Amino acid sequence: MDLRNLIETIPALVLCALPDGSVELANRAWQEYTGSSLQQLSGWVWQTTIHPGDVAKFIDEWTMASAGGKPFQTEARIRRADGQYRWFLIRKALAVTPTRGRESSLRTLIACEDIHERKEAEAKLQDSEILLQAFFENSPNLIFVKDRQSRYLYANKEFKKAFHFTDEIKGKTDDELFSAEQAAAFQAVDRQVLEAGLPTKFEDVVLYEDGQHTRIVQKFPLFNAFGEIYAIGGVVIDITERKQEESARRYSEERYRLVLETANDAVVCIDESSIISFANPATSRIFGYDPTELTGKPLTVLMPEFLRKLHENGFRRYLATGQRHINWQGTELTALRKNGQEFPVEVSFGELARDGHKVFTGFIRDISERKQAEDKLRASERTLRQLTETIPQMLWSAEADGAIDYCNQRVLDYTGLPAEQVHGAGWMKTVHQDDIDKMAQAWTVAVSTGEPFQYEFRCLRAADHTYRWCISSALPLRDQNRRIIKWFGSVIDLHDWKEAQQALRMTQVELARVSRLTTMGELAASIAHEVNQPLTAVTNNSNACLRLLANRSLEPEVLRRALQEIVADGTRASAVIARIRAFIKKAPAEKNELPINEVIEEVLALAGRELYENRILLERQFTAALPLVLADRVQLQQVLLNLIMNGIEAMTAVTNRPRLLGVQSRIDESGDVLVAVRDSGTGLGLEADRVFTPFFTTKANGMGMGLSISRSLVENHGGRLWVTPNSPHGAVFSFTLPAVGGSAA
Amino acid sequence: MTGGAPVVFVIDDDPSVRSSLKFLLNTVGLQVESFDSADSFLHKKPPDAPGCLVLDVRMPGLSGLDFQHELARRHIHIPVVFLTGHGDIPMSVRAMKAGAVEFLTKPFRDQDLLDAVRIALERDRARREQEKEVADLQRRYDSLTSREQQVISMLVSGMLNKQIAGQLGTAESTVKVQRSRAMEKMHADSLVDLVRMIEKIKGPSEKAS
Repeated sequence: MDLRNLIETIPALVLCALPDGSVELANRAWQEYTGSSLQQLSGWVWQTTIHPGDVAKFIDEWTMASAGGKPFQTEARIRRADGQYRWFLIRKALAVTPTRGRESSLRTLIACEDIHERKEAEAKLQDSEILLQAFFENSPNLIFVKDRQSRYLYANKEFKKAFHFTDEIKGKTDDELFSAEQAAAFQAVDRQVLEAGLPTKFEDVVLYEDGQHTRIVQKFPLFNAFGEIYAIGGVVIDITERKQEESARRYSEERYRLVLETANDAVVCIDESSIISFANPATSRIFGYDPTELTGKPLTVLMPEFLRKLHENGFRRYLATGQRHINWQGTELTALRKNGQEFPVEVSFGELARDGHKVFTGFIRDISERKQAEDKLRASERTLRQLTETIPQMLWSAEADGAIDYCNQRVLDYTGLPAEQVHGAGWMKTVHQDDIDKMAQAWTVAVSTGEPFQYEFRCLRAADHTYRWCISSALPLRDQNRRIIKWFGSVIDLHDWKEAQQALRMTQVELARVSRLTTMGELAASIAHEVNQPLTAVTNNSNACLRLLANRSLEPEVLRRALQEIVADGTRASAVIARIRAFIKKAPAEKNELPINEVIEEVLALAGRELYENRILLERQFTAALPLVLADRVQLQQVLLNLIMNGIEAMTAVTNRPRLLGVQSRIDESGDVLVAVRDSGTGLGLEADRVFTPFFTTKANGMGMGLSISRSLVENHGGRLWVTPNSPHGAVFSFTLPAVGGSAA
Repeated sequence: MTGGAPVVFVIDDDPSVRSSLKFLLNTVGLQVESFDSADSFLHKKPPDAPGCLVLDVRMPGLSGLDFQHELARRHIHIPVVFLTGHGDIPMSVRAMKAGAVEFLTKPFRDQDLLDAVRIALERDRARREQEKEVADLQRRYDSLTSREQQVISMLVSGMLNKQIAGQLGTAESTVKVQRSRAMEKMHADSLVDLVRMIEKIKGPSEKAS
């Protein structure tokens, strides 16, 4: 059979190709499909007829088939006459060995079957699977397919994620993946679906990795072409969050209901017409209306007349413009009870849009009591403030940390500073720089320890721009836990007081000095007088003698008498000088431990001549072994001599009784050494108290200093000197001196 | 009536001073009477002779200055020489203002005391003489008739005889007679002399009133 004819009989595009693949013949169908002449189709035509993307594969297949004797077959897109490529199955149909001619060469018939439709269907199917896969894999739900034996055929990503499966679960059963209990539960449902052949839907709770989840599970049978169930599909929707939200919402609603019903505040809802749509139970308590009674009434029934218009206008304006004309959070207004009583309320508003309509909720609190309390507190505060502002004292207070937070007007007037400049640590500006550090330190110590604060400092007074001494004091106020919550303090200007005190001290010092000077001056005057008397006498007598001598009329007898007087006066002057010397020595007294009896004996020896000349009987009453006294010997002698001479002089006038001078030494009741000089003289009578006064004297020739000086000498030694009447006549002058520890041998 | 020899009255509480002053004053021939206190001096009637006081400022009882006041109060115009052991300036100023002759601080130079005493005595003598003269004039004046006294006082005031006569309602010749008689009684040599005499009489008496 002619090869040409043969290829025409095959109902396909057929080519006759040489072993190298080059075309020798092409049937009419080829020529028609490609729109090419046989001429054009001869030779290696594949390059131009096959889609460039398929050429390589075609050549490979051809080469492999030629080499291995395998039947050649490939799929490739062949260009149609209109330029469109269509898929063809290209395969060897028949190998022919030509019988005619000399040339014996193999020919291969290649048939090209149009598989374009099938190819496209396949591609479509593949797209559809990819789509499904994409849906499954991206679904937020768990999707799975199990075979009749409950082996997983498929499980999506979400499924694996929910249970944290990382391994391939295909082929595994629930028993392998879940707990026995859980697996049994799943499989029970699977069986049910298999048996009934119907989908099922239920809610279950399953333990996931992150806890219990509530789910809606849908399971359904999968049927094959024969109507047999070959698998079970499942879709699981996790509703845990929704459940929680629902529960939360329900809880919230319940809570709000409870709040509304138990609230102390009246809660009233109104619509856009300002008509009451709801009122809670507290409304009746506060306003006196039953909640149901209020529903449907305008809100204005709860307002006094003067507020109604304002409300209506304001409400209208708000609805129109959205502009609020009062504060919605806690505005104080006046409300009206059913019984017509007006009372203060604090109102807060809320707004809610519902189905395009606005609902307003008002929370109304009766603040009558609070107002009263506030008024009372304000009044009390006002009184207190008035008190602190009018009190003629500088007052201040500070925070627990020591920062000044209040100063009354007096402080501001005094310092001339505005309040904000005194507050905090600003007050330090007014303190003298020499005081500032120590004062700040004292304040810091007080603040940290809670000790009461007190400090004297110099404060700058604005009025005269001078620093004045002030004292600032403060006490802490503590709470019930003893924590300091505030400090209250005062400042007192004690400058004048301090100056007065200073002046007083100065005056006292001055007084003491003046009186000392006066005493000294008087003493000096009297001493001068005392010394000048004998000196004057001496001078006069001497001058008189000189004059007589000049006149050659000085008689020896006159001279003798004058000289006698001169000697006497000289002696007297030296005695006075001795006394002065002793007195002057008084200041730095040289105190030694002295045996008193020995000192008395010394003085008695000095006074011996006087005693003898005045015929005085001396009576010694010495106590032996007296303690020593710490005294200046000369001063002690002065005192004793003074007392003894006084005693002698007091008795010169006595003629009708013995002139008796008693000198006694002993220990007195308090352990001091006591010396008493007793005379039987005329006594002092009413003058007893005055004898110690300087310049007081009972003697014609007395200077009035002896006892005064004696007393100060004794007192300088820590003793006393006093006088008592003697019985039956005279006086007793006694003095004490503190005893030194030991006693005289 | 010139009195006897001058007497110095020494008042001092100190017997030594007293006797030494007496001794000193005696040496210049002065008569001395001494007292131990101001009171004892006041108790004694002073002799009618020139005298002075030598007085210690500081004395028991009445002090020197108080005593000076007391003398003035009693119209005893005796000069005072003060002695003091320790006088101060205010004290001496007061004493001198009150008429003290001298204020001497003990011990003093004997000549100072003697000079002071001499001045005091001279002053007392002069005072006494003046007192005596006034007393004489007064006596003469007292011897005038009241009309003569009237005429004299008018004359002293500068009136003429005629004016006096006119005022008294007498004849001018009568006035002339009365005038010459009065001048004779007063031992006045001239009208000027008479005026001086009348002034001496009136002066002290006016001061004393």
